[in-house]
Amino acid sequence: MGQAQNDNHKMIWTIGGGKGGSGKSFITANIGICLSKLGVRVILIDADLGGANLHTFLGISPPALSLSDFIKKRVSYLHEVLIPTAIPNLQLLTGAQDLLNAADAKSVQKRKLLRSIQRLEGDYILVDLGGGNSLSVLDFFLMSDGGILVVTPEPTSIENTYRFLKSAFYRRLRQSVSSHPVKTLIDEALDRKNEMGIQNPHDLIRAVKRISEEDAKRIEAEVETFHPNLILNQVRSKKDIEIGFSIRSACQKYFGIHLHYLGYVVYDQEVCHSIRRRKPLVLENARSRAAQCVTEIATKLANPQQISLPFQ
Amino acid sequence: MKRIEEQTYYEILEVSPNATAKEIQRAYERAKETFHADSLAIYSLFSEEETNKIQAAIEEAYHVLMDEVSRKSYDQSHLRNHVGEKRQIPFGAQGIPRERRDSLSFTDLSINTGEVTYDGKILKQIRERVGIELKTISAETKISIKILEWIEEETLEKLPPLVYLKGFLRGYAQSLDLDPQKVVDGYLQLFKEEKGK
Repeated sequence: MGQAQNDNHKMIWTIGGGKGGSGKSFITANIGICLSKLGVRVILIDADLGGANLHTFLGISPPALSLSDFIKKRVSYLHEVLIPTAIPNLQLLTGAQDLLNAADAKSVQKRKLLRSIQRLEGDYILVDLGGGNSLSVLDFFLMSDGGILVVTPEPTSIENTYRFLKSAFYRRLRQSVSSHPVKTLIDEALDRKNEMGIQNPHDLIRAVKRISEEDAKRIEAEVETFHPNLILNQVRSKKDIEIGFSIRSACQKYFGIHLHYLGYVVYDQEVCHSIRRRKPLVLENARSRAAQCVTEIATKLANPQQISLPFQ
Repeated sequence: MKRIEEQTYYEILEVSPNATAKEIQRAYERAKETFHADSLAIYSLFSEEETNKIQAAIEEAYHVLMDEVSRKSYDQSHLRNHVGEKRQIPFGAQGIPRERRDSLSFTDLSINTGEVTYDGKILKQIRERVGIELKTISAETKISIKILEWIEEETLEKLPPLVYLKGFLRGYAQSLDLDPQKVVDGYLQLFKEEKGK
């Protein structure tokens, strides 16, 4: 993470991991609104392969313009496909899933898109990646300034989150090394039943050392700087809140990484009500418990010194 | 990036080398909860073997750090070894010299498998290890010292009715940063055992 950092301190956050229904779009939309209320310019990008409906969370109809219009050169500049919303300082870009989903989405295209996104006039860009796990999604997650995982305290969600994290982690390591045999080794390590008996990142580093001491050092350096973030959604008890800290400890022991527990959002019927009414919770019912949790997380994002940055 | 075998006891429990006994106790409870075989937080991440290894490391770290003599000796050797290059911090039965393991007076709390059952004896040992006097707990919780003593001595016949006792146990647990529900559940087992006799 961190390759997206640029001179004007624009921050690009990606929200992914977990599984469909863990609340990524709800959280993206509401954090975006909270940030925009703080007076910064926010752009939300919908890149959910499973079901792009960020516009619904914002209470607007499916937009006529999308990223496809830019890619197919129907418009010249990316900012032309930005959709204004009723909320001051907040714009929406849809259709990013088309590129991520495309089988021929090459790394060059993705980087080009990222550069275009970086040039957009905004202070915070939040990308909703949905529950996808494809290479394009992983690359986007890794190219951003900060990747946020949204997980609910359920085995299915936790399992999917670890699967996503493992894929992103190994992909990042793969990108950091130069030797082809080491790249192959990393690819094989993802499969726990691999013939080399590599069960975890520690085993992998030991195996890499046997091939290339230099690459092993690079990998260790990458591990040190990989700091994904975690939001625990739909928590119902103190014990649920503790799970976030436990996941952080588990990631430290397994991957050797420092995962930052950004915060939690309590389970609140008001969330369902706001979605049904197509009115964003933080606008409709800012005093609800869930809205207060989201606001607290947004405040942290607006003050990155509170988070274990830098991500680079 | 250190393997569990290479981590210091402080790293294993995620506490600073200056941690108090109370902080170590709290960290231990949290670590046990996190790396319990049925823990939701580690679901699908570790193999059974890896989980067992971590659990053993947590127990080892806890026992050494909660014993003043062992901790001092560990700190000395740890600091000395840090002057040099990388050092493997030993853990596991083979890692601690036999005489030191035998000298641990904390063996009653040796919880190699399963959960701790908080009876009076265990509660007293934890309290003494974290260095809190009964009068401090009494001042904090407004529970009389006599009742606290009866709780620790398991003088069941003198203890107040269950409805009050549960509240007292919760207060006692909170003073020691223990899980109140687990302390209540564990302690009430004594009554069931008494009935069964």
